[in-house]
Amino acid sequence: MPTFVHTDKCDGCKGGEVTACMYICPHDLMKLDTERMKAFNQEPDQCWECMCCVKACPRQAIEVRAYADFVPMGGAAIPLRTDTHIMWTIKFRDGEIKRFKFPVRTTPVGSIDPYKDKPPAGDINSQLLFTQANKQLPTI
Amino acid sequence: MSEGTFGNPEIVEVETDILIIGGGMAACGAAYEAKRWAGDDTKIIMVDKAAVDRSGAVAQGLSAINTYIGDNDPEDYVRMVHADLMGITRDDLVYDVGRHVDDSVELFEEWGLPVWKTKETEGVALKDGGKPVRSGRWQIMINGESYKPIVAEAAKKALGIENIHERVFIVKLLLDANENNRIAGAVGFSVRDHKLYVYKCNACLLVGGGAVNVFRPRSTGEGQGRTWYPVWNAGSTYAMAVEAGAEMTMMENRFVPARFKDGYGPVGAWFLLFKSKATNGFGEDYATTNAAMLKDFAPYDTAAVVPTCLRNHLMLKEMKEGRGPIFMDTPTAMKKLSESMTPQEVKHLEAEAWEDFLDMCIGQAAVWAGMNIRPEETVSELMPTEPYLLGSHSGCCGIWVSGPEDLNSPDDWKWGYNRMTTVQGLFTAGDGVGASGHKFSSGSHAEGRIAGKNMVRFVQDKKGYSPSFKADISAITDEIYKPVRNYIEHKDKTTAEDINPHYILPRMLQMRLQKLMDEYVAGVSTFYQTNKVMLDQGLHLLEMVKEDAEHMRAKDLHELLRAWENYHRVRTAEVHLRHIMFREETRYPGFFYRSDFPDLDEENWHCFVNSRMDPDSGEWAMMKKDWVGLVDHGH
Ligand SMILES: Cc1cc2nc3c(=O)[nH]c(=O)nc-3n(C[C@H](O)[C@H](O)[C@H](O)COP(=O)(O)OP(=O)(O)OC[C@H]3O[C@@H](n4cnc5c(N)ncnc54)[C@H](O)[C@@H]3O)c2cc1C
Ligand code: SF4
Ligand code: SF4
Repeated sequence: MPTFVHTDKCDGCKGGEVTACMYICPHDLMKLDTERMKAFNQEPDQCWECMCCVKACPRQAIEVRAYADFVPMGGAAIPLRTDTHIMWTIKFRDGEIKRFKFPVRTTPVGSIDPYKDKPPAGDINSQLLFTQANKQLPTI
Repeated sequence: MSEGTFGNPEIVEVETDILIIGGGMAACGAAYEAKRWAGDDTKIIMVDKAAVDRSGAVAQGLSAINTYIGDNDPEDYVRMVHADLMGITRDDLVYDVGRHVDDSVELFEEWGLPVWKTKETEGVALKDGGKPVRSGRWQIMINGESYKPIVAEAAKKALGIENIHERVFIVKLLLDANENNRIAGAVGFSVRDHKLYVYKCNACLLVGGGAVNVFRPRSTGEGQGRTWYPVWNAGSTYAMAVEAGAEMTMMENRFVPARFKDGYGPVGAWFLLFKSKATNGFGEDYATTNAAMLKDFAPYDTAAVVPTCLRNHLMLKEMKEGRGPIFMDTPTAMKKLSESMTPQEVKHLEAEAWEDFLDMCIGQAAVWAGMNIRPEETVSELMPTEPYLLGSHSGCCGIWVSGPEDLNSPDDWKWGYNRMTTVQGLFTAGDGVGASGHKFSSGSHAEGRIAGKNMVRFVQDKKGYSPSFKADISAITDEIYKPVRNYIEHKDKTTAEDINPHYILPRMLQMRLQKLMDEYVAGVSTFYQTNKVMLDQGLHLLEMVKEDAEHMRAKDLHELLRAWENYHRVRTAEVHLRHIMFREETRYPGFFYRSDFPDLDEENWHCFVNSRMDPDSGEWAMMKKDWVGLVDHGH
């Protein structure tokens, strides 16, 4: 199910050095065509359909078209993600549409303060992780 | 140094106390833990080939955390892992994960990961006594679309963004010139600009995940990217460990998940949560009709949960004897559930079924949508995938490591720092640690933390150490960019640059590797069967693939990335093959069969198989290591 980019929606992330889709794709697939200033998937048969790029694109320019070698045409799964939820539209080949909404995060993005209210480092030679201060670890 | 050009990179030297290779679950755990123990005067750098927010096996999200001990006894967890992996696991390592893992899960929840709770404890955090919704004895349900960004945020904040190098692919570990068998650094290249990074370190954590695409995938066209295992983890962990001379263990083990056909979507929730059954093409419950054939694999046949490979074994019999396809009977399961539920509850259940895919395998949702499959109306096909190598899921290949010092384990299981390999200063976790599967996302994070703490301890003990490289960096630079030179030198000699007798495309090298592994080393085309003669032939062909790897071309940095990924795949394939050849029995039916040794042989082979390649001579030593049980396994 490789990604494709809608020509009319992609603005090449306004000429930034690294586009959102290039930045995020774990497999280095999204590439900017610097002449057209549009992104494309440079190796469609290596796409894991993880939709990391789809979710990250600020212009909703990327979609996924199901793998042509085993999926009949016409279906689609389209996400719309905010900082707290993800909305899915599932389109069946026969036209039925299902919608789902799921939470993704209970805290504001960027709010993690990793060591706030956590114990300081204790005895480095013990088996305890620092958050387990004063805990009695079981053994065998 | 002047700015680099394609094939002529700027060399960037970086000195650090601790180097973390990878940015996945184990790496993020290590970063979080190590920084707290290290304080500000110990430098920690994390290097990921991708963007930490969405890298590794959790990039897409997950719908469950598969290891949460909760009210269970960690000793029972040890028993479960041992049985599922057919009796050869390290109880010390598994127990250690079991007693630490919940701490990581509680952190995830605190950081913002939505964890499902039972009605009675809705809104109560796990650490305050909230009861998770379990889909199995060890698994808990989450809304996990943002699992990885959440875990990454904590790691990035802990280390400081300036200490995280993204889009740098590590190619090789570097050994020390003065101290024998000691890590001194690593070298890799940027996929974004013309820079070669040379890292010097005191301790190093190698956590690049497992290996995919070593075997020919079932899909042949566009769908090749839809492997079950994330297509970007290329066996770097195993390949680099082997080349540094680390002792490997259980590299014959592999994982062949049985999943929904083609989309490879998860079946766990269907089996465990919705109590769905699988049947052969004629509606027969083959798990029951074939049950007697598992007696050959006693005592593991009577485990509380039938081991994963044995379940495949039952399924494969149906497929081989022509009674396919295998179906997951979702309509019957949904119907049964709706008998005891209100329509609203059923609707909720349906949403949960879809979420299971949308959180971690969106492609499967698209397969169902494209085929008009509605689980309440239509059955779905199941299929075992091509083999993958990993150490944290239902597989246990990896590196031999030192375990925790405080358990009743033999002395030669705790020779050094916890999670240190046999190479001084080189640590691993997650998919990297062998003989201890079923850690999953949470256990990999917790194990990364254990390794992280122990690296700090190591670095503090070795304060005076100053690394110097045994290898010549300029020769290594030449070697890494050789595919670029191959391309530039020869590309104009033919009229179509992809067909050229002077070089091989990384993609074609990958296909050659996949074809030979499939045909000779028990891939899908032989129904996972092999024998000594096939393996000899496979090794013979593999040696030529290794030679030809020097002739790969790279027309850009992206292709250079593919070239070195495939190099790592080839090394991983080699160690897998050598281990399969050494273990003369069939221990994991359903994952692979030695047709010349079709039986389980507890007497001779209930032991670890370890291997080591001498980094100087390239010679291999294969060895048996005693298995010892640290808890009562009942046999
Ligand atoms: C399909 C699938 C489904 C799963 N489902 C579940 C589930 O439901 N619940 C659960 O708890 N667990 C699940 N797991 C298990 C879990 O995802 C893994 O156990 C965990 O991610 C392993 O952590 P790790 O750090 O070892 O590897 P990963 O998290 O995969 O991280 C590897 C990292 O190394 C980087 N890397 C690789 N090579 C290099 C290199 N050469 N140079 C630099 N960086 C490199 C990668 O970019 C990545 O950041 C699933 C795994 C898979 C594959
Ligand atoms: S992220 Fe979207 S808008 Fe930006 S380059 Fe990619 S496709 Fe175009
Ligand atoms: S769907 Fe995933 S693998 Fe495919 S291009 Fe987007 S980010 Fe990359």
